[in-house]
Amino acid sequence: MRTPLTGALAAGLLTAGAVCVPPLRAQVPAPAVSKPISTYSVPRTPWGDPDLQGVWSSDEEAGVPFERPRGQTKAKVDGTELEALLEQREHQRAGTAPTIGGVTGAGPVHWYENWGRKSARTSLVIDPVDGHVPPLTPEAQRRQERRPRAGGSFGAGPFDQPDDFSLYDRCITRGLPSVMFPAIYNNNTRIVQAPGSIAFTYEMIHETRVIPLDDRPFPSDRIRGYLGEARARWEGDTLVVETRNFSEKTNYRGAGATLRLVERFRRVHKGLRYQVTVDDRHTFTRPWTAALNLSPGTGLFEYACHEGNYAMRNMLSAARAAEAGRKAQ
Amino acid sequence: MRSRLFGVVAGVAFAVAVAAVPVIAHHSFAAEFDAKKPVKLRGTVTKMEWINPHSWIHIDVKTPDGKVEQWMVEGGAPNALLRRGWNKNSLLPGTEIFVEGFQAKDGALRANGRDITFPDGKKLFVGSSGIGAPDERPEK
Repeated sequence: MRTPLTGALAAGLLTAGAVCVPPLRAQVPAPAVSKPISTYSVPRTPWGDPDLQGVWSSDEEAGVPFERPRGQTKAKVDGTELEALLEQREHQRAGTAPTIGGVTGAGPVHWYENWGRKSARTSLVIDPVDGHVPPLTPEAQRRQERRPRAGGSFGAGPFDQPDDFSLYDRCITRGLPSVMFPAIYNNNTRIVQAPGSIAFTYEMIHETRVIPLDDRPFPSDRIRGYLGEARARWEGDTLVVETRNFSEKTNYRGAGATLRLVERFRRVHKGLRYQVTVDDRHTFTRPWTAALNLSPGTGLFEYACHEGNYAMRNMLSAARAAEAGRKAQ
Repeated sequence: MRSRLFGVVAGVAFAVAVAAVPVIAHHSFAAEFDAKKPVKLRGTVTKMEWINPHSWIHIDVKTPDGKVEQWMVEGGAPNALLRRGWNKNSLLPGTEIFVEGFQAKDGALRANGRDITFPDGKKLFVGSSGIGAPDERPEK
């Protein structure tokens, strides 16, 4: 990614070249403009903002590991290497699917909406360039030791009350930025724009964020939420959404109330490029960034998850049955 | 007394759980169903409930002594099933299906559907050929 610093440096050098050696100006390589110029121009709303509206899916990135597997050095592969990689992924998924989440499995793979996708990327993390999430700070490691229950229904319990399950189990939220990354179904985000605001509806759990685009300041840090407080702005044709003021109940890879996210959405020829920078000096030893190529989705279905969430009742009664079994022994 | 070792183990377990959670289902079937109670049910569909977050398939199962048990089988998310080609006619009442799964931990007549097939071995998913969905298990 080109940073503002290298951009400024390049511009400075070009200017210096232009001023100091005018006869050579035509021969001075100009990296910024020597790239093929794209003929693509982003569509715009009637009021002139880049138009990001529609339903976008992360399905095409399914199967790409969040972090790059050890031994893999390339960010993207092609040719026979890609064929081998896709075959390996498919075997791995088919082999583990019957027991995902434990011996009982998560259902037959023909229920998986995102089966058989063929992304050539080797990790969703793009910064650091090695594709790995930076280590937790010692402070965050100590914090994690104090809250071992956060694995939700996939953890070891105990499950005594609804609060012992994750926000995702409870149909409250899959959380930010997790909700953008591919799961086995419901990987769609709907974007709707109006002058001065933009709204995101996530199919999984079905929450909506309405984000101001009008330079208003962030509210007091005493106002906190599961999805934080967000403000958006345009940087050229890129939408930049900054989110902070997360609730203490947030737990994204160990980050909670001090989490700060900067998401970037940019229209590209056939879809949207999404990037999120995760910044929390109380949790990670440095900020890091993950990216997704989103493609046009097939529409959003209702996901009134809480209303039919019999699993909550069933998991609690299962825990009581296990408890009675232990007492009887 | 909670030892420091326990804390470290719990921390590691948490890290593993967090790393795994983003790619899996809405909730864990293992927390609901008993891995020690595998069941194989052959039954007739009486009702399919298209409810979120997961569908429920109701079947009548005849026991060897001639009684009929009413079982509920937890299925895939309605949105996913729709996109994978299911519709309201995919499992009409009266359809016979074969379910392999695990019974509820609390002993109720509920199971997860780890494998659901028609009696002739065909996969339940309608139109699954040619879309890259492999068989659920390696060939035996």
